[in-house]
Amino acid sequence: METSGFHRNRILVFSLMPKVYLTGIGFITSIGNDVATVARSLRELRHGIEVYAPFQKPEIPVKVAAPVKGFQTDSVDCEDWTYPERYRVKREVLRGMGPNTLYAYCAMQQAIEDAKLSEADWSNDETGLYAASGGSPYLLGHLMQKMHTQGVMRCSPLGIVAAIAGTVNFNLVAHFKIKGASTGFSSACASSSHAAGFAYDEIALGRQKRMFVVGAEDGNLDSILPFAGMRALSLQTDPAKASRPFDVARDGFVGTGGATVLVLESEDEVARRGVQPYCELAGWGQASDGHNVAISHPEGSGLRLAMERALKATGVSPEEVDYINAHATSTPIGDVSEAKAIHAIFSPSGARPLVSSTKALTGHGLSLAGAMETGFCALALRDGFIPGSANITEVDPACADLAIPQKTEEKQARVVLNNSSGFGGANVSLVLKRV
Amino acid sequence: MADVAEQGQKSREPGLAKPQTFSADDESALRETLKRCSPSTIEAAIAFRKTRDPEKVPTVVIGVIERFVEPDIRPKLREGDDELRLVEDLGVDSLTMMEIVILVEDVLQMQINNDELRNLRTVGDIKTFIDCKIRGLPLPKPTRHLPVEQIAAVMPIQPPFLFLNEASIGGQGATAKYKITGQEFFLQGHFKDNPVMPASMMLEALGQLGVLALIEGIIPSEDGRPVDPKTIFFTSCEGVRCHRVCKPGDVLTLSIKPKRAKMPLATFEGTIRVGQEKAAIAEEITLTFGYAEAVATPPNAEATGSGASSGNAEAGQNPAPGASEAAAFTPLRELPA
Repeated sequence: METSGFHRNRILVFSLMPKVYLTGIGFITSIGNDVATVARSLRELRHGIEVYAPFQKPEIPVKVAAPVKGFQTDSVDCEDWTYPERYRVKREVLRGMGPNTLYAYCAMQQAIEDAKLSEADWSNDETGLYAASGGSPYLLGHLMQKMHTQGVMRCSPLGIVAAIAGTVNFNLVAHFKIKGASTGFSSACASSSHAAGFAYDEIALGRQKRMFVVGAEDGNLDSILPFAGMRALSLQTDPAKASRPFDVARDGFVGTGGATVLVLESEDEVARRGVQPYCELAGWGQASDGHNVAISHPEGSGLRLAMERALKATGVSPEEVDYINAHATSTPIGDVSEAKAIHAIFSPSGARPLVSSTKALTGHGLSLAGAMETGFCALALRDGFIPGSANITEVDPACADLAIPQKTEEKQARVVLNNSSGFGGANVSLVLKRV
Repeated sequence: MADVAEQGQKSREPGLAKPQTFSADDESALRETLKRCSPSTIEAAIAFRKTRDPEKVPTVVIGVIERFVEPDIRPKLREGDDELRLVEDLGVDSLTMMEIVILVEDVLQMQINNDELRNLRTVGDIKTFIDCKIRGLPLPKPTRHLPVEQIAAVMPIQPPFLFLNEASIGGQGATAKYKITGQEFFLQGHFKDNPVMPASMMLEALGQLGVLALIEGIIPSEDGRPVDPKTIFFTSCEGVRCHRVCKPGDVLTLSIKPKRAKMPLATFEGTIRVGQEKAAIAEEITLTFGYAEAVATPPNAEATGSGASSGNAEAGQNPAPGASEAAAFTPLRELPA
């Protein structure tokens, strides 16, 4: 057999780097607060979008959102918050958190349980945590208002810790006694995919044995409505029609919040602990549009390069990809530019991976999206299904050459791509493989 | 940001806000602010805002602290022990302390500076501090806390005859703790098969705290000279009553307050508690002292620490002080129940 440069590259990659597996997931999302519920929602295409009470004012043109269920975090006073009974959060822990951090804290407990980790497993030098969150605009607004009206010394001592973008990593690293690498990522809607990519690197480069990857967002009025100004939000009033990626009549995204925590571990750790992973995180690629601060490149150039790099890094050919969980947020420009990028990579070889956007069910989770949808891909790989792209009445002709399943398909994928794109034209593509 | 900085500066001006009228809106805002505090705290705060009565302040302050400590610790606070330590006993960290301060500032309409907080270690420290602020009195001298090593380094009395494990010296008095270990040499014979801390030793411990307070400058010196440790001796004791038998494992909380002092005599009142139970009181303990290079030792004085022994007091007998003590030691009048 002839060994091409491509295959030599593949052999080199595989021989040097330990494999990285996804061994645990925690979900606090609009479509479920545990793995089983989320898996059922994905399979049955149950969405989490609703007519959102805080938007029901004449001056607010946006009416729907996909809030998390079972939590009440409307108050600026965290002691007013309620959350599911299975979680216990002490006041002294809660006071440094925004809603997104509380969701992440709960998802973290789930992920630890799901991966069957003991405290000795996660609190050590070789376990790190990368997180992504937009912070809590809601609490930051409250804090600023209080500072201006009541004076700087009347602000809650932990207000800043609870409000700024690093709040998720600050809190989880401290409260879970994480001793390894930790930081936060802020590439907007690509953030938690960046976190997953760099977490992969930490393990593949032998620096860490285990990484938690966290994406979280408040998903409330203050974190969603600012996107109305750039006309990025859907003005639909029907929750079942509002988020419809790839549909010709899509008119913007639906905001959501919550948290997802992924546990990534080296193959040695997986073997030592004897756990069954969901899937392998085989590698990733990233690239930037270099085009516009908020609008995707019309040809999806950065995303195309990100996918090419992801395939090259993992030694996967386009024909091997069975499913792409698209970034597609249901905005007119974004979905088409992603469709063009996918077309450019797969069509030359005649490959037709299934492409769907689970944002039709969840809405767009911003910093949360990458980690949440990586979790969805892991469920699809473990359980042998491809979630359909819901809410499509008529596929946009510009996306017509993609194989977009509108219903869930009972099909075992072997290789899955998860795309994410953020402001500034940052693009990440993660490659997941069946185990 | 210029506005913010200016506003911030204004809010840092120390002292009391001017009394304002207290409207129904103010009252509902205050009730909202204190919604997680006990009803008595809320009522005391409303009464304070209406009348500016400083007597209401301790209830408000304790109520605010209570709101921020974990529920299982709250009963401790309700016992009214001023010696409760914020960090060690109540689990209040520096951030929770800030939350307490912000709420107290808000409710009592006062400003507290960061540097004023540093010396607040016990519930009593906070009560005294806020009370002084409200009444416009000068703030007490900061309380200093001495671990056993520091105590042993300055005291003329040394183990195994030193009965202070830790001490706090404040402007108003001094407190200390001593845990009866059971290893004390005198417990071997006091009593047979029934170790009980001799009352005389409890008085000794109080006297030692007086010695420490003198050395640490609780009595202001007229000319800046420090008290010479070698000049301090026991002189007399009045109104001693014992209320409780103290045994190994008990932690004695000792406190003394200066009643009067004029070289060469300093008189303290002293109490000993175990938890909330009164163990012993001495209406007056008088020590003689001198300043460095001005030693004054009156006749008949006995060095504190040489053992003012009347060990069988607890047994229900009248004490029989030794000859050397007779002139100075007032017999124990009240015995444990």
